[in-house]
Amino acid sequence: MGAVLEVKNTGIRFGGLVALDDVNVNVPEWEIVGLIGPNGAGKTTLFNCIMGAYAPNTGSISFRGRDISLLPTHRRTALGIGRTFQNIGLIRGLSVLENFMVAQHPRIGYGAIGALLGAPRSFAEERKLKANALEVLDFIGLAHLADSQLDGLPYGTLKLIEVGTVLATDPDLLLLDEPSSGMGPDEAHEFGERLLRLRQMLNLTVLMIEHHVPLVVGVCDYVYVLNFGKVLTEGKPQEVRSHPEVIAAYLGGEVEQEEQEEGAGVAS
Amino acid sequence: MAATAEAVTSPLPVAQSRWSPTAKGWAARLLVLVAIFGGVIWATAIVPQYWADRISLAVIFAIIGLSLNIVLGYLGQVSLGHHAFVGIAAFVSAYYVTEKAGCSAEKCSLGAFSAGLVFAILSGGAAAGLLGLVALRIKGLYLALITLSYGFMAERSIFEIPFLTRGGAGMPAPRPEGFTTDRAFAFLCFIFLALVIFVDWRMIKSKVGRAVLSIKHSEPVAASYGINVTAYKCMAFILSGMFAGLAGGLLAFRATNVVSNDFNFANALLWVLMVVVGGLGNRTGVVIGSAFFALFPFLIELIGPLDKFVSGTLNRNPAEFTPVIGAALAILTIIRFPGGIAEQLSPITRWLGGKRFSMHPDGGHGDAHSPKKTVLSKLGLHKGEAEAATDASSEEIRNDEEPNLAGQPEEPAGVSGREDS
Repeated sequence: MGAVLEVKNTGIRFGGLVALDDVNVNVPEWEIVGLIGPNGAGKTTLFNCIMGAYAPNTGSISFRGRDISLLPTHRRTALGIGRTFQNIGLIRGLSVLENFMVAQHPRIGYGAIGALLGAPRSFAEERKLKANALEVLDFIGLAHLADSQLDGLPYGTLKLIEVGTVLATDPDLLLLDEPSSGMGPDEAHEFGERLLRLRQMLNLTVLMIEHHVPLVVGVCDYVYVLNFGKVLTEGKPQEVRSHPEVIAAYLGGEVEQEEQEEGAGVAS
Repeated sequence: MAATAEAVTSPLPVAQSRWSPTAKGWAARLLVLVAIFGGVIWATAIVPQYWADRISLAVIFAIIGLSLNIVLGYLGQVSLGHHAFVGIAAFVSAYYVTEKAGCSAEKCSLGAFSAGLVFAILSGGAAAGLLGLVALRIKGLYLALITLSYGFMAERSIFEIPFLTRGGAGMPAPRPEGFTTDRAFAFLCFIFLALVIFVDWRMIKSKVGRAVLSIKHSEPVAASYGINVTAYKCMAFILSGMFAGLAGGLLAFRATNVVSNDFNFANALLWVLMVVVGGLGNRTGVVIGSAFFALFPFLIELIGPLDKFVSGTLNRNPAEFTPVIGAALAILTIIRFPGGIAEQLSPITRWLGGKRFSMHPDGGHGDAHSPKKTVLSKLGLHKGEAEAATDASSEEIRNDEEPNLAGQPEEPAGVSGREDS
């Protein structure tokens, strides 16, 4: 199977800080690839390079064999790369329904000028758009929140809405930035199962930054470990987990922390 | 950690069924709407001619307000140079009808007038588009400075070109046949205001408005939704400039003689104030606020004792007094009523829009803004705070957060922290 996403020799520096250095990441069709590493390893920076928010100093990024290094972010979205954010990437100030309507932006079938002049087509398309948005909302079980504002919704619901809106952009490749942050172990487990089902239904390929080790081991087909902007090691989740350098750099501390959190969860 | 876990598992708000008024309710709303609009039209039809002239100024101010509202309210950027767009357009239309179409005070065809307005709209759009290109990379305080200097530059250069402005004497802009009276011209202005409101309404109800509002709240998120941030920012500026150009053209024909002194920074500031007082991002509020600011000097004249106080005791022309009151109202709005006039009227406007009557200021679904936020945050001027926070957490930057984002990663309310980038 060909690679959906190919990150080659990518490097980026901010002033004197080398955020990424010669990173190679391959995401094959239909796989869920994990990206782990301690804080500051450059994971989100890599996402920003893939989405075009940052321009890497070296290397190239290709999507389905096409070099996308020079494309602006919205073109990459239109090609089929969807991305969630660490602190929930939703448009506050728009309602839940409107967020789903914005997410379909590149596929809207009327021009901006037609819209401003009130072309009949824009009215018809808007109705269709709204119907689509309600359908997706219904699918993720949030139809009752369509007219709500985002402020005041619970964190977990916002996370779900975010994933929903990204799916509404119709991605082939999904970039998830710490999807399970703020979830307890049970919810993280449930999220993993949902992700597997989604992949089945929508034919998704996924690159996922994740700290929650059981989730990574449970759903990922392959894992890259980033440390200080470099790929420390890569392999199947089980192999990576037992890799001595990884344990030293990251997993050892993280597993302990994980257990503490679970303990705290039970206590509360 | 435990708190966020709780938030995840807490039950979702109960489904709200959509409420819609009965036939009788709709009829009542329609009646009130007809009464309001009919009242305004009727008033314009019966007041003396010189009052009709003032009404046309209020209508033109409303167009200017809606123009500024696109940049200020929807896009969340500052423009202190709107007098440049309005002024350039006023001179272009006057220059066209007088010098190119050969109009005079006695005779000016409707065709020449229409072409003059088209040139006004195009020149306003071009002037704003030029500024928009600069504004792509700049925001907040620096953009305010750039727009300010842009306005001053226009004042000192374009407004002083002799063949365009005829120096201090001004360029004549005769009104077209059939609209030479103040009353007829006021009705003409109403038609143009209706057109502007229509375009503004379609903008907000279509992908254009959603894209612009998304850009205001978070550029990275908007881009990852597939929105061409650059193009839509430019489009917002150009559309704003086109509205301003239309208003400039109408101002020219209203005055029938365009003088460069009419377009100075004091005007631009007043226009910003009237949009803030009206309610950023709210069409109805902006129209009402703008009309109020335009009519204010005349209201002073109407009220005898107040007129005596202003022109006698203070020895001030009522028109000069508007900025004073404007500033006071703006301060009051910013500190006490961030939603402006729009928020105070929201129970009525929501009811008219087919919702249940409720005195709650938000009523669940506000317009394009949330009243909880301050005016400053709507303008994007709280940038300084965000930057300070980023500096303080330089540790976090190294921890591979995006350097320009200062949100706390695990904040339960979640959505914050992204809006400035």
